[in-house]
Amino acid sequence: MKLGTIMISLLLVALLNTYAFASNVETFGEKLTISEITNISEILAAPEQFVGKKVLVKGMVVDVCAKRGCWMYLASDKPFEKIQIKVLDGVIVFPMSARGKEALVEGEIEALKYSKEEAIAWLQHMAEEKGESFDPASVTSGMTVYRIKALGAEITE
Amino acid sequence: MNWRRWNNIIHRDLGYLCFGLTIIYVISGVAVNHIHDWNPTYKIEKVKSNIGPVLSEGRVVTDQEVRNILKKLEIGPEFKKTFQPNSVSLKIYQEGNIIDVELLTGNVVQEKAAKRPFLFQVNFLHLNHPKRLWTWFADLYAICLGILALTGLFVLQGKRGILGRGAWLTAAGFILPLFFLLFYSN
Repeated sequence: MKLGTIMISLLLVALLNTYAFASNVETFGEKLTISEITNISEILAAPEQFVGKKVLVKGMVVDVCAKRGCWMYLASDKPFEKIQIKVLDGVIVFPMSARGKEALVEGEIEALKYSKEEAIAWLQHMAEEKGESFDPASVTSGMTVYRIKALGAEITE
Repeated sequence: MNWRRWNNIIHRDLGYLCFGLTIIYVISGVAVNHIHDWNPTYKIEKVKSNIGPVLSEGRVVTDQEVRNILKKLEIGPEFKKTFQPNSVSLKIYQEGNIIDVELLTGNVVQEKAAKRPFLFQVNFLHLNHPKRLWTWFADLYAICLGILALTGLFVLQGKRGILGRGAWLTAAGFILPLFFLLFYSN
């Protein structure tokens, strides 16, 4: 009976703890440590200069991985641009409800260099995760994808 | 009271205690196991329509044009944000609805994502989205499962116990995952 009381108490504390911290700012992963924001447009304009560097970026969440929450895209400060934010599956899970909200993300810029075949496979995978169709013929050469390997994030309503 | 009686009491009471969370993990485990075939957390509905061309050539869309699009779709004028992936496409963000508009053709896809009742909650716990104290609680639960398994070995004595049929079944429990490990790791 005592064991049961302890387990139920722990469950209640866990639930209370979960909801006590509920606010309009959702935090994910590690605490943000960088205070200066780097514009996404600056990164996209000269991505090679940023590869391997840790940055803090800000932008609207325009898309989220529907199945695993393992990536999201942030809109740039300039029109028609976005950047992918990637996390390890399960380490951070971005909710679909984040779409349309503002996010601050801290992470490291990485470059993924794909051959044509790898690019087709990657784009096919991304299309499948989004539930969209994909035409492999639309890929004519290899590509380099620049993205942010996220360590921590804050998403605000 | 001998040790076996204590063993059986612990096994029985932990079994009662762990029942709820075990069922949650069973349901969520099966649901998440098939993540390649479906989305276990959200039900996503896509609705296609056409509202006629919005622009004659690509450019940045104004808020008034966004409101006109929503009016044509008859889904209310409120929207949170917009995003243009390129000069001829537009995404409009409403609560629970994302509207993709091809500005030159007027083709529209509305994507309505709704949390799957019950599955959203069980996946939330199983995949440890709450983090914080839930992590420790889930660890405690895992330890309890370990104790359940261990005490389960010694519930019965004799032919049906761990020295009889139980030994074979326990061995099978090790051999089966080992078989899959060897089969798929080559």
